[in-house]
Amino acid sequence: MTLLFWVFSVFGLVPEQDTVSLEQVEVYAPALDRFAQGQKLINFESKVLESYSARSLAELLQEQSPVFIRQYGAGMLASPSFRGTSAGHTAIFWNGLPINSPSLGQSDLSILPLEAIDQAQLHFGSSGALFGNEAIGGSLHLNSKTDFGKGFEGKIAQTVGSFGLFNTALSGGFSSNKFSSKTRVYRQFALNDFSFRDISRPGSPEVNEDHAQTEQRGMVQDLAWNISDKSQLKAAFWWNKAEREIQPVMGSNTVDHQSDESFRAVLDYFRFGTGSVWNLKAGWVQDKMIFNESLNETRQFFAATDWDFAKGNSWQFKAGLRATFIQGDLSTYSTTDQRVELYQSGRWTASEDLSLSLNLRQFAYLDNLVPFLPGIGGDWKFWDSDSQQLLLKASVGKGFKIPTLNDQFWSPGGNPNLLPEESVSGEIGLNWLKKGGFSWDQSLTYYRMQVDNWIIWLPQGSVWSPENIREVQNQGIEYQGKANWKIGGIKWDLGLSYTFSEALDLTSEPANPRQLPYTPKHQANGNLSAEYAGVVLNLGSFFVGQRAIGTGNARILDSYQIWNAGLQFSDLKWGNTRFPLSFQVLNLLDKDYQVLYLRAMPGRSYQFNLTIHL
Amino acid sequence: MNYKNQLGALALIFLLFSCEESGSERPLGVYDTGVLIMNEGAFGTNDGEVFHLDPATGEMKENIFEAENNRPFAGLLEDIVIEEDRVYLVANTGKVEIVNPGDFKSIGAVIGDLDQPRSLATSRGKLFISDYGPYDADYNTPDSYVAVVSSLDGGVVKKKIEVSNKPEDLFAVGKYVFVAGSEEGKIEIIDAETETITKTIEVSGKPAQFFEARGDLWVYSYDANMIYFQSFHLDNLTKQNSQEMPLANATSRIALDEEDRIYILTSSGWPDYSDGITIFSLFESIFIPDWKTGSGFYGIGYDLQREEIYVTNSNGFQGNGSVTVYSKDGTEVTNMEVGRGPSGFLFR
Repeated sequence: MTLLFWVFSVFGLVPEQDTVSLEQVEVYAPALDRFAQGQKLINFESKVLESYSARSLAELLQEQSPVFIRQYGAGMLASPSFRGTSAGHTAIFWNGLPINSPSLGQSDLSILPLEAIDQAQLHFGSSGALFGNEAIGGSLHLNSKTDFGKGFEGKIAQTVGSFGLFNTALSGGFSSNKFSSKTRVYRQFALNDFSFRDISRPGSPEVNEDHAQTEQRGMVQDLAWNISDKSQLKAAFWWNKAEREIQPVMGSNTVDHQSDESFRAVLDYFRFGTGSVWNLKAGWVQDKMIFNESLNETRQFFAATDWDFAKGNSWQFKAGLRATFIQGDLSTYSTTDQRVELYQSGRWTASEDLSLSLNLRQFAYLDNLVPFLPGIGGDWKFWDSDSQQLLLKASVGKGFKIPTLNDQFWSPGGNPNLLPEESVSGEIGLNWLKKGGFSWDQSLTYYRMQVDNWIIWLPQGSVWSPENIREVQNQGIEYQGKANWKIGGIKWDLGLSYTFSEALDLTSEPANPRQLPYTPKHQANGNLSAEYAGVVLNLGSFFVGQRAIGTGNARILDSYQIWNAGLQFSDLKWGNTRFPLSFQVLNLLDKDYQVLYLRAMPGRSYQFNLTIHL
Repeated sequence: MNYKNQLGALALIFLLFSCEESGSERPLGVYDTGVLIMNEGAFGTNDGEVFHLDPATGEMKENIFEAENNRPFAGLLEDIVIEEDRVYLVANTGKVEIVNPGDFKSIGAVIGDLDQPRSLATSRGKLFISDYGPYDADYNTPDSYVAVVSSLDGGVVKKKIEVSNKPEDLFAVGKYVFVAGSEEGKIEIIDAETETITKTIEVSGKPAQFFEARGDLWVYSYDANMIYFQSFHLDNLTKQNSQEMPLANATSRIALDEEDRIYILTSSGWPDYSDGITIFSLFESIFIPDWKTGSGFYGIGYDLQREEIYVTNSNGFQGNGSVTVYSKDGTEVTNMEVGRGPSGFLFR
């Protein structure tokens, strides 16, 4: 365990401020910044996102957050496990639209390239009241950032690396005070012909992976128009297509191919009043997945409106309504679903040091009503001196997940009688902020959660069918700390994070509950960087503890620790053109490891990135 | 596991005893006695493995393939066949591992050129491996085959003999290899010398398992409502006797006791999922439906030495499964935790 404290990380615990006027910051800031009192948030700094832009969201979260990512190989399916919950227990939003697949009830983080977004925030804990369906372990919020009055901006980025990595991204934008447009296109390619020790074969020979090639292409268009002082129109469109050879598990010789294509579009209208904002939102999310030759397609249309208003100086309210229409045309069934949800949030700022929020939601789908969902939380800054402050956060909330379309209708085996999964979670956390020459921001959070009616697919003869069978009790401790200081012109940044996560399966052996499969009890990560005259040297590491591959007395996979290092020249300029260069070594010590059993992962690799800012 | 393996094992034991007398055979290895438990593993995880049980002491050795070879089995274990003093571990994920029966040390393998192997038989110094072949877009298997490998110690696939869809069990008699073509109700007979199909016999139901009883070769078949037994003339490769009996929800899994009574595992499957064991005899008027009932039954075996019935429970493949041992009067002898997806046994 002491080893864990030798790894370092950089974190953005303080929300990054938007560049637009103060009033509009509030508007763009998702509800999580304003009504999530007492709940833990991580807001990834833009420089961190930039440094991962040629890599994936999965890698960012694994290396820079307490979320465990179940990776099925290089560039393959990557699903989040948040506070010991399953892949379907993390709600994911893009510009306020929930984008998890309604048929699968989850997202593959490998095909959400960071190149397509500007901001990412992680929200911890059950918050069905604030975010709706699937926010059980937590939620992830991806957003575009709108700039005004910046004129023309452009960027060309090229990354080349080991195993045939070749990523290209172009973006161009123009903004006046009235109008803003940003277009980006990208292509991310990896041959993934890394070598690994194939322990499924006699003699465990070193072989090259020959069926894990991935290619992603995409286009994002962001538009915003200040129609008047009182109103604004915003739109965003994202097309992403991923073609992947599915890396077989060692010992299998499958040659599966998966194609995922998504269209996502959102249109927002804002009307600003005195101390109030009215928002009208329409969204479209279409996912088309072809596995070998089997086609699965879902379409979701969202219509929502909410009204956000202040009452006096200390009260802030938000009330809204969202309707979702879903059409699913899957390989074995077709169906439709309609969902309606009503939500209200209130925040009371009792004093400069104390604020409380209350969130409520009522959700209905098909002929079912999800029990009324409340959430409550508070922030109390109980000590505030010139250089230091201590903040206590506490919250309790409920979460839920309605059965996915596949859970209900897959043929054969779908179970239309499933109940929603439900959770209750609470957390208490302490933040300690110190300003000055040696500054830090540290937080320690304890959480506890109970998830009931957890849906598991079980074999029923030769047919698998889902049941509301599992009950899980989670608790854990999360520590995040970052510090920075300057010595002799060198700016040092140090980040450390450690997570203890217990997720006990109360179903399989109630008398002797054990940790859920693929849920490490211990995780840690960290990063140390030194910057001098625009040259940044960075050393990072992450540790993932042992995890079982099944319930009960199942096989235990070894823990692993991976080191990454990077060198960046961030101030290179030619005239007005900035062209930062970076070089990264991933898996520096060439560690042979598996995240999931018998899924080969790449050894040491190199990446070289050149970005030209026009 | 194939019933023929039990016969093969018995034959081997007799052979070993007789050889021991002459003093020329190798000493008994750790795994030459006791029970090998076949744990299929979970789909997509390839964590199939073999456990070894000493029924006298109850001592269980886990993951013996990995323990003896310092690498995991890494496959879904579909069948264990013991022939020609070799144990063949057939993984339906696309390989056959060959180990020494006494110590489970690897002798060789067939890797590559297989798709979804199901079972194996040896004849004329060659391996014959039944294989579903690849799935097509609709998850059908129109390209099923029996693969031929020239060496008993594995190697490359020399030839693929096209057979009817979804071949399961194989049984070698002399130069003939009988193939249970499960989907189309065909018994295809391969001439091991020419490596071609010499004869095809149609049978009722889905043929699943060959066995030898009272000097004859039989095949067990089933469908949703019936069970069928068909025996063959081995001289002219024609049908001999047949019997059938109404029995709902029979599965491919059977076991035979020393009196040639057949224990058949039944499962109503989804959505009700009630399982049972039915006893039937070809030679006496015995038919006992639901001799045992329960939920989660997955595999069955019979220990001829101790006269005990072994029934496995997969526990939904979420973690380890279990094995319950019954005496012939139906009382439970013991229950033990085994690996993931236990599906059959090889009694040594």
